[in-house]
Amino acid sequence: MKDKLLIKSAVCYCSDMIKLQDFGLRGIEIDKQLMPANIRRRASLTTKMAVSVATEACLQAEINPSELPSVFASVGGEIQVTDVLCRTLADSQAMVSPTQFHNSVHNTTAGYWGILHGCHHATTAIAAVDDTFAMALLEVWTQLQQQPGDCLLVCYDEIWPEYLAPPIGKLAFATALVLSNDGQKSAKGSVLCPQIAPEYSDLSDDLNDMIDLSLIASVIPLLQAIQHSPALALIPLSRNQPQWSTWFKKLT
Amino acid sequence: MKGLIVQPVPVTAYSVISNCGLGNHVLYQALNSNKTGLAELSLLDVPFETQVGEISVDLPEIQQSLSEYDSRNSRVALAALNYQKDGLLVAIESAKARYGSERIGVIIGTSTSGLYETEIAYQMLLEKGQMPDDFHFLTRHAYQATPRLLQKQLQLQGPCFAISTACSSGAKAIAAGQRLINHDVCDAVLVGGADTLCRLTLSGFNSLELVSPEFCQPMDQNRNGINIGEAAALLLLEKSSGQFDHLPHVLSVGESSDAYHMSSPDPDGKGAVTAMNNALQLADLQPADIDYLNLHATATQINDSVEAKAVHEVFKEAVLCSGSKGITGHTLGAAGAVEAIVCLLALKYQIVPGTCGLEQIDQEFRCQVVKDSIVSKKLQIVMSNSFGFGGNNASLIMSKNHER
Repeated sequence: MKDKLLIKSAVCYCSDMIKLQDFGLRGIEIDKQLMPANIRRRASLTTKMAVSVATEACLQAEINPSELPSVFASVGGEIQVTDVLCRTLADSQAMVSPTQFHNSVHNTTAGYWGILHGCHHATTAIAAVDDTFAMALLEVWTQLQQQPGDCLLVCYDEIWPEYLAPPIGKLAFATALVLSNDGQKSAKGSVLCPQIAPEYSDLSDDLNDMIDLSLIASVIPLLQAIQHSPALALIPLSRNQPQWSTWFKKLT
Repeated sequence: MKGLIVQPVPVTAYSVISNCGLGNHVLYQALNSNKTGLAELSLLDVPFETQVGEISVDLPEIQQSLSEYDSRNSRVALAALNYQKDGLLVAIESAKARYGSERIGVIIGTSTSGLYETEIAYQMLLEKGQMPDDFHFLTRHAYQATPRLLQKQLQLQGPCFAISTACSSGAKAIAAGQRLINHDVCDAVLVGGADTLCRLTLSGFNSLELVSPEFCQPMDQNRNGINIGEAAALLLLEKSSGQFDHLPHVLSVGESSDAYHMSSPDPDGKGAVTAMNNALQLADLQPADIDYLNLHATATQINDSVEAKAVHEVFKEAVLCSGSKGITGHTLGAAGAVEAIVCLLALKYQIVPGTCGLEQIDQEFRCQVVKDSIVSKKLQIVMSNSFGFGGNNASLIMSKNHER
């Protein structure tokens, strides 16, 4: 069945690990040593965070990153880099840093990921407010229908400057999953193509509070399902209306 | 990759706004006469000289109930959507009636989104210590602002997101739209790109020493950099149907990564070659099937020479090619969609557009770059290249109609 995506690995990071533990989840730490010094010096914390979860997801799935197409998704992307550039431009007619400029594009992390691993496969960078994770999963699903195999999904947002969209951006959150529709290797469960939920399912107050601080926390119900592995459950992927969701199924 | 086939999807309506004006016809006239629409920058002041592709026609206002989405970027996209003569709105309404609003997606490529307004807001932030009351980060600045505005304006409920992979964004939005239709998530998808002038892109490219103070000269031996432009280009893709057989079709989009450098292409052109070959393979075509190639041709030294090398590797000297950025400027996140429409106009009017600004082709280039537009009668299948920062590459193939 090519329309089912096997979840080969799922990893997350949160700047507040205690909050993450309240949802029964464990995050990983950011590993800045994953990049050689010349990239590490230039890359933002956003990129380091996304690369950390992506690397761990590939390790857990026992897949070489150079073999994977990828979908990167974020609401604010390189917002801290953009913030510095906007301040520079507002303050004076000063020159902006050329490195900071090319590091401000939304696909910065996608670009560095390819450079780090010599990966020539297609990569994309998307954004969709509350639906960012849902649309990323949908993009992975359609890509794997077109070209069966494995695909890396990385969804992340850093802490944002407090004057942009408070309280959103008070928390950094990142997740990475390796998904596959080819073969039956050991997996943590499977998901079907994201769809608009037949009925809206309310999220818990705790989860809503978390999503208020980072829209990427919308992934938490799916991460919990992967951990608890229910036989079959409709998992909300967003709190937006209409609400995107996916069927999670335990592998037997 | 062996055995991969993607299904062609018809383009049932399209429209574009650029420095040439509003609508497909004015862009066609500029292509046909091969006259530049580039001019001095008037929207804002920058401390260096350059020419730009600035939109000078009046832009529509955003309706009151969606005012938090108001930005130059969204207005530009709305202008293309509303332009009656190109019939995009009518086609979308008709698609809604046929398929239902939840079966229609919106995917727009952009690199700037509402940065123009954000920059103005930051001036207040630095002066007064706070953002203006009408600063709306998620609905004005963020990448998904323009596709969301279009989705809400049209009352659609299907998938909706922005793709932002720098200068390949517009082409990749078309790829994502084709996949959603191919795999039965959607029956129609409004795809395209929208990008607008702002300080950040102008100053950023200038700091990279990639901006030309004069009119840009794509593929020319004396080329010395880009002129930045602004535009929105929207295309309605639908699922195949006999009634659309006579319309142009998107055949495939090949995608690849350079894995080389954030702002400079792999000098061997491997990423570009892979994107073009993937597109051919997905559409089950040979290089000889391509009648015209719309180059990315930004007019920087390195971009054009790498693309010329890659084109030669795939096509030898057998394909007619040209670049249109000497007319529109480089419209960045919109470029892939604008140039998709350049290709649609080439197919419709059976012309091979010229390369405005080109005087003497770089002698190193071994490909057939067309200087002045020529009337042809045999354009059936065409390709368009888009290459972005991060080494993000996309090659789009389209056909004149259902026949291949």
